[in-house]
Amino acid sequence: MIQLQDVSRTYASDEVETTALGGIDLHVEGGEFVAIMGPSGCGKSTLLNILGTIDRPSGGRYVFEGEDIARAPEAELAKLRRDRLGFVFQSFNLIDELTIAENVALGLAYRSMPAREKKDRIAAAMDRVGIAHRQRHHPHQLSGGQQQRAAIARAIVGEPRLILADEPTGNLDTANGAQVMEILQQLNAEGATIVMVTHSPAHADIAKRTVHMLDGRILASARLAA
Amino acid sequence: MHSALVSFYRTVVRHKLHTALDIGGLALGIAVFLTLALYVRFETSFERWLPHHEQIYVVGTEVHLPGSVINGVYPATMGGLLEQMQAAFPGLTGTRMRGGTGGGVVRDGVTTKEDVTQVDASFFDVFALPMVAGQGAGALRDPAAVLISRAVAARYFGHDDPIGQTLTIALDAPVRYHVAGVFEDIPANSDLKAGLLIPMPSLPPPGEWAWNKWGTASLTTYLRFPTPAAAAAFAAKLPPFVDARARPDVGPGASKWLSLPLMPLRDVHLHPVGAESASRRMMVAVLGAIGLMTLAIAVFNHVNLATARGILRAREVALRKVTGATRATLIRQFVGEAVLMVGLAALVGLALAEVGLPFVNAAAGTSLTVPYGWALPLLVLLTGVVGFLAGFYPAIVQSTYPAAAALSAAPAPAGGRGKRRLREALIVLQFTLAIIFAIGTLVMMLEVAHLRGSDLGFQRRGLITVASLADKGLAPDQVRSVVSAIRRLPGVNSIGLATAGPGGDGSSIADAIETPGQANGGPILQLVSVGPGFFDTYGARLLAGRVFDGRHPGDDSSNWKRWNAGRMIVLSRQAAQTLGFATPGDAIGRTVGYPRPRTIVGVIEDMRFLSTHQPDGGSYYIFYPDQPPQPVAAVRFRGDPRAMLDRIASVWRREAPQVPFRGDTVDARIASLYEVDTRAMRLFTIGAMLALMIACIGLYGLAAFDTARRVREIGIRKTLGASTTEMLRMLVGQFLRPVVVATVLAWPIAFYAMRQWLAAFADRIALSPLYFLGAGAAALVIAAATVLAQSWRVARAEPARALRYE
Repeated sequence: MIQLQDVSRTYASDEVETTALGGIDLHVEGGEFVAIMGPSGCGKSTLLNILGTIDRPSGGRYVFEGEDIARAPEAELAKLRRDRLGFVFQSFNLIDELTIAENVALGLAYRSMPAREKKDRIAAAMDRVGIAHRQRHHPHQLSGGQQQRAAIARAIVGEPRLILADEPTGNLDTANGAQVMEILQQLNAEGATIVMVTHSPAHADIAKRTVHMLDGRILASARLAA
Repeated sequence: MHSALVSFYRTVVRHKLHTALDIGGLALGIAVFLTLALYVRFETSFERWLPHHEQIYVVGTEVHLPGSVINGVYPATMGGLLEQMQAAFPGLTGTRMRGGTGGGVVRDGVTTKEDVTQVDASFFDVFALPMVAGQGAGALRDPAAVLISRAVAARYFGHDDPIGQTLTIALDAPVRYHVAGVFEDIPANSDLKAGLLIPMPSLPPPGEWAWNKWGTASLTTYLRFPTPAAAAAFAAKLPPFVDARARPDVGPGASKWLSLPLMPLRDVHLHPVGAESASRRMMVAVLGAIGLMTLAIAVFNHVNLATARGILRAREVALRKVTGATRATLIRQFVGEAVLMVGLAALVGLALAEVGLPFVNAAAGTSLTVPYGWALPLLVLLTGVVGFLAGFYPAIVQSTYPAAAALSAAPAPAGGRGKRRLREALIVLQFTLAIIFAIGTLVMMLEVAHLRGSDLGFQRRGLITVASLADKGLAPDQVRSVVSAIRRLPGVNSIGLATAGPGGDGSSIADAIETPGQANGGPILQLVSVGPGFFDTYGARLLAGRVFDGRHPGDDSSNWKRWNAGRMIVLSRQAAQTLGFATPGDAIGRTVGYPRPRTIVGVIEDMRFLSTHQPDGGSYYIFYPDQPPQPVAAVRFRGDPRAMLDRIASVWRREAPQVPFRGDTVDARIASLYEVDTRAMRLFTIGAMLALMIACIGLYGLAAFDTARRVREIGIRKTLGASTTEMLRMLVGQFLRPVVVATVLAWPIAFYAMRQWLAAFADRIALSPLYFLGAGAAALVIAAATVLAQSWRVARAEPARALRYE
């Protein structure tokens, strides 16, 4: 499904050039659940952002479902994100001015489909993660776990083929973290491909494969026996 | 306090653009307010500089004949009124002023126009003008004495002592006077015109045949009373006085038709009699309101920006609270900062007003200056009040925001929906005002253009009028020689004479067409006496019948003793209508008026010599085969108007040096009728531009903070698949929403206001919906341009970067 070849990302400031990623090769099959681990600043989030097309590689090839999109125009990437990707962030990134239902609806806001169908899918997504009863609330009125579940609902409402999760349990306590992981595991079981950045070895264990990173490079890729 | 100042300074420096917009917008508002306050102060201060101005009254002449076009109050009286009053009421204090802008000073055979005014010896009992040199009160008992203003003294005598020098002054005829005293110049905020004061003759001046004729108005009579009660008591005695004295001229019960209202001198400027009364007051009120509203808009913007800036400082406030600042301390800090900010803006505003005043003066024809004794206390007061208002709201908002929330990792407080609504409401308000101004400006421009270009019933181009030909100082033979000299000039096609000319030149004679059985004598028309070539020279359009010519001896009306035997007249279209003829053709050959019958030989299209503020009741024309008395000359010419005017002026100086030349193109005379309207339009244009500018600053400020605050939201939306175009559309659309609301709110208000304004014109444009749509569309385009750059920057940001944004 995903093929990264020699992908690099450098940031240039006035005087120094910082290499966030260098020579990354990564292959993710459809239906996989991949965890990315490594210390802070090793480039995990940068890699995830590149996978999610919200950041662009400075070099290398990014083939998504057979198509090299490393240099695709912005409008095409927006369409890709809209139709095939779902995002879950550590800090939830819900919009404070919108209610939970409205936040979830954002996942379909830029697609054209009958209003009826949109409504049904939003309701189903909220049911799925168990926050339907808080749909009229605003994000700040919810607990962290509830907010993250709302964010997951927003990510899955569009039925994406790839879900990218950036430390989805990082801001949550153990119980809420476990709940979130359970949902991700179920989604994977139903066929969604998941790439997740995490600091938690326990949560990494839930994934089928773990990629270890250090200083912008992939150290090793361990596959769990199925 | 020190650290509060430091953090204020840093906020200002860090947000340079916002601070510049904030202070600039507020300064602009203050400058506009200051300028308009100066104007209102000027307009409302007329005659207040005069000692005991509150005791002085102008005697008016009010005609109230039912249904007559000459009805109204005239700010003048017959010449002999004061003498008659003083005979009937001994001890009455008063003076007359005759002349004003007529007359001149004759030197080396050439007359220079000056404000020569004849006054009674009692002048200083009423007008205590401050004297610079020589004698004031008492000097005017000498019939050969003249008092001159400081400016006139400087003009004619330079640094020499003017006292005792002689001047030849022409009001009715040139006479030598000796200078007895110099008075201080009359300030700009006065309608009194006096450069030279000469004694009123004890007998009526030559040519003033109506000096003691009731119902005429030839000079201004002023009275002075110690108290308003005394004035009211005197006014109560006037109707019996009028009944007794006016009976021979007006008939029994004269006070029913004619009264003598007393008008307080200080009110006369803002309550002038006549058609422009309402428009002058309205202009002062409207410009005053604009000044206040502009200030209000600027203050709103400031509050808006200050509140928005407060969001950026939430963390600082929270930290101050954590380290023990009380709510009172924080409020003090915020209010203090706001006062500092407004003070700075007030200084910049003062500077802007100083820089802008010359332009405003040029546009409005004023000579305003900033009096610092008045402006500085006003600005200090303004700084205090506005600073407090502008600081208090953000202070409350900020100081009540929970510290923990501001310090938590959560994104900066959004300000919430309620506060966003408030900010939007403020933007709506100012765009509403700006759009009202814009529509007003548009309508005024179109109306003034319409008036200037409208059909006057004659060909206004290539026409010069010489108004000084009507001067009483010219003998009929002199008129004849001036006219024939002008006629001989190269480039002159024809010349026509009449007792009236465009722009109010010449005389205006209202004459009743006596119709037995009709109320108060019959319809009243303007009587214009014309000479040969009048209709041809103006290019009047004949609708029916014929105009006068020398081949019809019966056309001659020059001998008034034969008027009872009948006259041939030409009517204007309106006059034919007023007299009840269905079509111009119907009027031909008919005779109107008894016992002085007039036979209609022709009807012409209305020739409008006066402002269309006044309704045209119709005119009729009679013929003088030689030349009408005291005529205005109209010269039809080809070639350059300026050169022609110069040639006519030099002929004038050769033929009639004792009378100052007055002549201009008809275009200029017509334009002068609409000077007040043109000035109002220019001021409105400036006002509208500034209002729009301030509103755009407000919108820009809102957009700046809103886009900064929403970078993360845009990042999220783009992550979810929104394209840059979609984001741009969303942002611009949201920023334009208040402008759309404002447009809809502004329409009915502007419609109502401009309908009122247009109602003062007899000839007016229709209020087309296009003006409203156009102004709204222009506001939208300008607003879109204001927010486009910022929206574009945010909309195209890369989502990953946007999500990192804090």
